[in-house]
Amino acid sequence: MRRLILLIFVFFISNSNNAFAYLDPGTGSIILQAIIGAIAAGLTFFTNFWLKVKNFFKKIFKKKDNKK
Amino acid sequence: MKLERNLGSFRDPAGQIYEIDKRVIRIVKKSGAQRYNYLKSINIIEESIKKGFLIQTKDVTDEFKKINNDQNNFYYLEHDKLDYISYPYEWSFHQLKDAALHHLNFQLFLLERNCVLIDSSAFNIQFINNKPIFIDLLSLDKYVIGDYWKGHSQFLQQFLNPLLLKSLKGIDYNNWYKGNLDGIKTTDLNKLLSFKNKLSINILISVTLLSKLDNDNKINPQKALEKIENKKKLSKNSYKSILLQLKNWITKLKPKDEKTIWDDYSKLNTYKNEEQKIKLKLINEFSKKYRPNLLADIGCNDGMYSFESITAGAKKVIGFDIDLNSLNRAYLISKKNNLNFLPVYLDAMNPSTNLGWNEMERLGFNKRTIFDCMIALAFEHHLALANNVPVDEMVKWLLKIAPHGLIEFVDKEDETIKRMLALKGDIFPDYNIDNFEKNILLQAKIRNKTQISKTRVLYEFSKN
Repeated sequence: MRRLILLIFVFFISNSNNAFAYLDPGTGSIILQAIIGAIAAGLTFFTNFWLKVKNFFKKIFKKKDNKK
Repeated sequence: MKLERNLGSFRDPAGQIYEIDKRVIRIVKKSGAQRYNYLKSINIIEESIKKGFLIQTKDVTDEFKKINNDQNNFYYLEHDKLDYISYPYEWSFHQLKDAALHHLNFQLFLLERNCVLIDSSAFNIQFINNKPIFIDLLSLDKYVIGDYWKGHSQFLQQFLNPLLLKSLKGIDYNNWYKGNLDGIKTTDLNKLLSFKNKLSINILISVTLLSKLDNDNKINPQKALEKIENKKKLSKNSYKSILLQLKNWITKLKPKDEKTIWDDYSKLNTYKNEEQKIKLKLINEFSKKYRPNLLADIGCNDGMYSFESITAGAKKVIGFDIDLNSLNRAYLISKKNNLNFLPVYLDAMNPSTNLGWNEMERLGFNKRTIFDCMIALAFEHHLALANNVPVDEMVKWLLKIAPHGLIEFVDKEDETIKRMLALKGDIFPDYNIDNFEKNILLQAKIRNKTQISKTRVLYEFSKN
């Protein structure tokens, strides 16, 4: 993971050119939100999935406990 | 009496702020009526006021429709008038941080109720003493599923980036911010950050990645627009998590720990305690006598004399100081003790001037208000001796702030002054108590003159 971040980081540094203001600065923000949003949505999906797995096992163990 | 438009209120075509007879009226135009009707229909204005997010607002349409029949004016709303308007470039770190958190908390509150803020201007937040409050009702709008946070980039520039500059680099943002009212550009901040700074995932996303995207988009705007058009909508959950992630990050931010020479001023200054006691007594008597609604404490440091004024009867004190660490402390003390005290940044040698559109959008220090009273203790010599302001000009400037006040004069024999002139030499033949007194008398009466030590005199002046 660290190596990946480092690679991304080096890519950013090597590409930091000066640019001219042709476009509303909000464009980058929208693309960024889509990226963070996707990560956040991914995280939510993963969290929900994990909760379901946990609940599934909890239920099984509870059933076992009840049988006892 | 005529409704006069506040010259700083013009950006939103849906409505603007007007003033009449010391009242603040927001006129909602035809184009803003639909937005306002929606907000009213879901009772969000009332709820936001009740929760302390939004400034007090009442509908006075019936009253004003009678005196103004402009068909384009759909609603008239009256807001509480603030005693003092301050700007983000005058706030210390903890003030800007609290304003940022106020904005995010308000957004989270609104989003739950299917509303959003359409922009993120830091100027839409004001301070009532030590509490931030949102003042721009027409920034509220209906949330449409899939919408992106329109004010994201502006939030970063006006709140997050200045805080990061102070937090990561220990650089005060105030003068930079005053020079660029949009705040600090993400691309500029990115250039300043070190490799170590960028190892943080938060910085990497919100500063470095955003700078990269902004730069790329400027080079190829068409491609950027195509990218946006192909993007999926943002889910409400994602919107919320972006706000929460920023909130968690900002909550943890602290100014980089650097002490300035003023940091321990109240504790370590060269006065003896006896002198301080006399000063506090005189301030107490002065504040009791005038009971000012608004008092200015010029050179307030961490607010010791402001607090004494409030205890004695001043309803509200605005403290001014050049030292941002002292202001931070003053603000935190005010917050902790819930005092009617707002400390703000002022460099008297280069005060806030009229700024922004048409040089009237943000008002300068001496255009904003006239105070009822002022106090300036251990202050004048910083203008006259450290910055070479002629005595007559210095007195004129101080007396312009309020009709009544207390000013401390420090003689050249004082240890502080001796230190100040040690290298510079005494190049100030006009700096003496007689000349100081003569210049006060040109504009005001001296009501009281108290020798508080061998080298210090406290003057009470009154222009009436």
